[in-house]
Amino acid sequence: MQQNRNALKLAVTAVLTAVVVVFTMIIRIPTAKGYLNLCDVAICFIAFTFGPASSFIAAALGTALADLISGYAQWAPISFAVHGLEGLLIALIVRSKGDHEASFLRKIIAGIVCMATVSLGYFALSALFISTAAVAAAEIPGNLVQSAVGFILGLAVSSAVKRAYPPVSALSW
Amino acid sequence: MNTSTFVDGRGWLYRFDPRAKILLMILLCVFFFLPITLVGLAVSVLLVIAVGWHNTGTRNMVSVLKSITPMLLFMLLFAPFNVRGGEVLLSIGSVTIITVEGAAQALRLACRFIGITYVCTLLFATTVMGELMLALRFWRLPYKAALVVTLSFSSIPFIAESFSQIGESHSLREAADEEKKNYIQRLKDLLPTLTSVLVVALRSIPNLAMSLEMRGLGRSETRSSYRSLDSYTHLFTDFVISITIVTVLWLIFKA
Repeated sequence: MQQNRNALKLAVTAVLTAVVVVFTMIIRIPTAKGYLNLCDVAICFIAFTFGPASSFIAAALGTALADLISGYAQWAPISFAVHGLEGLLIALIVRSKGDHEASFLRKIIAGIVCMATVSLGYFALSALFISTAAVAAAEIPGNLVQSAVGFILGLAVSSAVKRAYPPVSALSW
Repeated sequence: MNTSTFVDGRGWLYRFDPRAKILLMILLCVFFFLPITLVGLAVSVLLVIAVGWHNTGTRNMVSVLKSITPMLLFMLLFAPFNVRGGEVLLSIGSVTIITVEGAAQALRLACRFIGITYVCTLLFATTVMGELMLALRFWRLPYKAALVVTLSFSSIPFIAESFSQIGESHSLREAADEEKKNYIQRLKDLLPTLTSVLVVALRSIPNLAMSLEMRGLGRSETRSSYRSLDSYTHLFTDFVISITIVTVLWLIFKA
């Protein structure tokens, strides 16, 4: 039984990672330092639908792989850390026991945490390792918009998927 | 969607052991942050670009540099204004615009950025994904983590294809002209597509889990593998070369 559970966990993580890669790569709006994308939609969907562990792994690995494939390899470690933390924190905040959905207040807090993690995380790590504070600060508005839109769409998609495919609740861990 | 980062070529980097290549990449990335002279940093980056050009060709070199050009321009335009002290290079009246230190800082950042980008890109351009995974396994990447990455790579084309097909199907049902819609309407229209894509992806999970079980995931005896790194017979030599390259650069260019 444990072995079966392990196979399911691996399959869930692999497919969710692939989902994050596809959402990151399929719609891209170029910016000065990289590109804006739908990765936050996928990450927020996973955080709202699955557990913290799968959110962390899929978000971190998926965005890092997308950066590697897209030729932005220098951003991969930063994306790994920032989006991994984003997925983990949102999932921990909206986590609830049983079938109860997270309260509205929790969702608001999760949204603020999502925006803060992405914008401040990219700002801090980019200023530290890739550019300077002034150059990194220029990306904050773009990251705020991307994470806010991603959060709202992720939330909407999460409830739509739960209605369209109820067995999804059995896949979370 | 193309997920392959490998560029066909015959240079010496292709014959270099992937395990040593990972070490060399990490050492070079660390080297770019060490206290070295600006000239030394620029020469090291030019050497990396020259090696890349020799191994992967002009087209790959141009495409890598092209992808980072906006960021480089941004960096060179704004970074000099951060450093206010030192010898004035450009001023308008009594207002200092750029100092020599500021310009040097901008150049250092740009060189470091090009260096890190190019080194990382070269690793993935000269190593096939299967061998890269084996090399990462050598560096103690857990088996399950490597399996997740390879399974993800096999799922990406299927999900990407579903995305474009579902997207096209939904757009055919749209009555309004796409260009007349505002951003909010376009995002709203995206919702059914995203939902359908996710359902299609999630439906594939039980089958994938079952096939993993059938193939003996979790068995005590190790699995056989078609691929191996046995063809690379100079691991120790390549390790020594990797360490020597970075040490020599450091000794020559240290500040």
